[in-house]
Amino acid sequence: MRRSRAWRWVTWLGLGAVMTLVVAALAACGGDDDESEAPATPGEASGSLRVVSNWTGAEGDAFAAVLDGFQEANPGVEIESEEIPFDQTQAQLAQQFAAGDPPDVSVALPGIVRQLAEQDQLMDLDDLWDEWIDDGSYTQALRDVAQAGVEGPTSSIYFKGNVNALIWYRTDELEALGGEVPETWDEFIDLLDRAAEEGIRPVAVGGADEWPLTQWTDSIILRVAGADAFNQLARGEIGWDDPRIVDSFEVFADLISNYFPPDALSASFVDETCSWADGKAAFTNQGAFVNLVAPAECDKSLQPGRDFTFFEMPKYDESAPDARFVSGDLFIGAKESENAEAAKALLAYLGSAEAQEIWAKRGGYIAPNAKVPPGAYPDVNDRKAAELWPKSDEVEAGYDLDDWIGGRVQSEYRGALQQFVREPDVDAFIAKMTEVDTRSSEG
Amino acid sequence: MTSAEDAVAPEPAARGRQRLRRPGRSRAAYAFVLPLLAIFAAFYAWPALNTVLSSGFEWGLINPWRLTEPGSWEFVGLGNYSETLGSESFWNAVVNTTIWLVFFPLLVTGVSLIVSILIWFAGRGLAPLLFRTAFILPMTISLAAVGVIWGFIYNPDPDFGLLNAVVGALDLDFEIDWGPLHLQTGQWLSDLGSLDLGFTELRLTNLSLIAPAVWAFIGFGVITFTAGLTSVDQDLIDAARVDGARLRHVIRYVLIPQLRGSLVIVAVVSVIFALRTFDIVYVLTDGGPGSDTEVLALLLFKQAFVFLDEPDAGLATTVAVLLSLVLVAGAYPYLRRLLEGTPR
Repeated sequence: MRRSRAWRWVTWLGLGAVMTLVVAALAACGGDDDESEAPATPGEASGSLRVVSNWTGAEGDAFAAVLDGFQEANPGVEIESEEIPFDQTQAQLAQQFAAGDPPDVSVALPGIVRQLAEQDQLMDLDDLWDEWIDDGSYTQALRDVAQAGVEGPTSSIYFKGNVNALIWYRTDELEALGGEVPETWDEFIDLLDRAAEEGIRPVAVGGADEWPLTQWTDSIILRVAGADAFNQLARGEIGWDDPRIVDSFEVFADLISNYFPPDALSASFVDETCSWADGKAAFTNQGAFVNLVAPAECDKSLQPGRDFTFFEMPKYDESAPDARFVSGDLFIGAKESENAEAAKALLAYLGSAEAQEIWAKRGGYIAPNAKVPPGAYPDVNDRKAAELWPKSDEVEAGYDLDDWIGGRVQSEYRGALQQFVREPDVDAFIAKMTEVDTRSSEG
Repeated sequence: MTSAEDAVAPEPAARGRQRLRRPGRSRAAYAFVLPLLAIFAAFYAWPALNTVLSSGFEWGLINPWRLTEPGSWEFVGLGNYSETLGSESFWNAVVNTTIWLVFFPLLVTGVSLIVSILIWFAGRGLAPLLFRTAFILPMTISLAAVGVIWGFIYNPDPDFGLLNAVVGALDLDFEIDWGPLHLQTGQWLSDLGSLDLGFTELRLTNLSLIAPAVWAFIGFGVITFTAGLTSVDQDLIDAARVDGARLRHVIRYVLIPQLRGSLVIVAVVSVIFALRTFDIVYVLTDGGPGSDTEVLALLLFKQAFVFLDEPDAGLATTVAVLLSLVLVAGAYPYLRRLLEGTPR
């Protein structure tokens, strides 16, 4: 009898606890629909913010300094900064949004911005962009990147820029090969031939990490097919079997057959960058970030500009207009953020010249905001790269193709590229990509 | 005791069971088991059932299927199973997983058995202890870290990669083409070679991933076999020696038969490990180059967490269900052995 009373007591206690949990969960799920998303004016934002980024080391420190700038202006805001691995950004963001616990503000690439915007999970940032376009901070083309190809409001801001298709070289190495920076495609090929004749590997690749291969394909598609075809391919308006795209891969196949090293798929990006920095390879085709990576990861004595610098990969067709290959990182705000005002204030700050100048001064960074002065960049290589950043809509540009597409096609594309490097069969590659990326045939 | 008394007097174990069958004691037993059952139901049974149910729907991580929201249901029946079984990437992953399934248990069982017997014959002392520790120690390293360590070893630049430095120093570099077999040194993680079987081509780069996994897993085999060897009857060995048996006969006809239990455990656990292998592949090659080393667990991961633009999580759960069925079949001898040793 005593035992059954005790059991009844425990049962009621358990039921009570469950009810409490259910009520608490329901309360947590309930949002305030009337919550305003207007950014707080500087100094007015308050409360806590969870910010997700994917930078570590020197880049992590630089981003922390940018956030410090926001907190100085908004002492009422408490920022909880969280770093996640770069290659897990998409997956972790998707999990957090799906679980209803998204970060208030997070770094993102166009692929995931598109997925989340289509799910109506992101904050509307149109008012910020309208202002930035009006005052000349950004171009419409950059806004299109931030919009990620989604109908409706712009839901991300452009925080970190990058210019690619830069052929990096050691100044002493180029000197040994004749000392001339190539102006045309033929001169570029002559230079690669000269390196091979001298017994130096013409190029460092780093294909084990997959993405360095896209540095080559994006550069070549932009130079052979042009920016129009590049952007049409990115948006699924043309297929991979478009003759201009096929021609681009024919050119890439020649480069692979003649100049890629046998370990193109074995070595990682950092290993190959260091291999190039050590003089084991003559050139590497990479983004502006090599200016930070080479001294930091390979040889601390390397002086940007004096010891190493870059030239733009020459045009394949000299009559074609310039076409810049850009990439970079966006930031998004969660529509369901419990501190939407402060989140939007942070996004407005991250897109501002003030915030971007903080990182620009530390190097290895291209500010997408055109108002950041050239004098902010610490060395000649960063300044040269920043000059290439498209600051007006007259300059044609293409945003990193696979980062733009994202998801399965991106993953399959990178895998197919590794197969292509091992066996440069253009027909097989085009057939594979036509099968994988069906956007153009679906209309 | 007479036979009649035998029939009447219950065995001690049976008496124990009778005591438990008394209603009060039975309730107490259930009360003790209940927390464990609740944990099992919440963290094992429900996720397993949910996975099976999820494989009947089309959904993705961003637009998940929820049991409580019929509006989110896109029921496809066995559609995910037919799509999976008709997919090239699934069968490619099956081939790569099969390579693991064949080589990993064989190597783990074979090498750890040899090492254990050598240690056993060496007897006691510092040298066998150090030898055993050297084989067991890698087991304490996480598999992701093992992948990173072997990534350095496999680095193609001989200035950084130990393997290519040794191959270069000893002039062991080679490339051979023997009929359907192509094998080469140097590009350990991108192109070790291939074996053309006619209906499919096996990518030997998988062996470069199996090697570190074996290195890390041998400790388990050594511990299990060493424990098994401690129970070997020394009299049997002495008797065999007296009868003129040589060392290989002693191993073949005395030691190995007495290690049958340990052999089953090591082999089955290795098979389970091979089937669910993920960490080392993810760290070393991420399934590449192309999809040369993509195993089923990695395919599942990509379908659920990478291909976010397509509702492929249903396909991922389908792969998980198929993998679980094979796992249960593979673990059956081990489970049977466990159940045989459980009092009823």
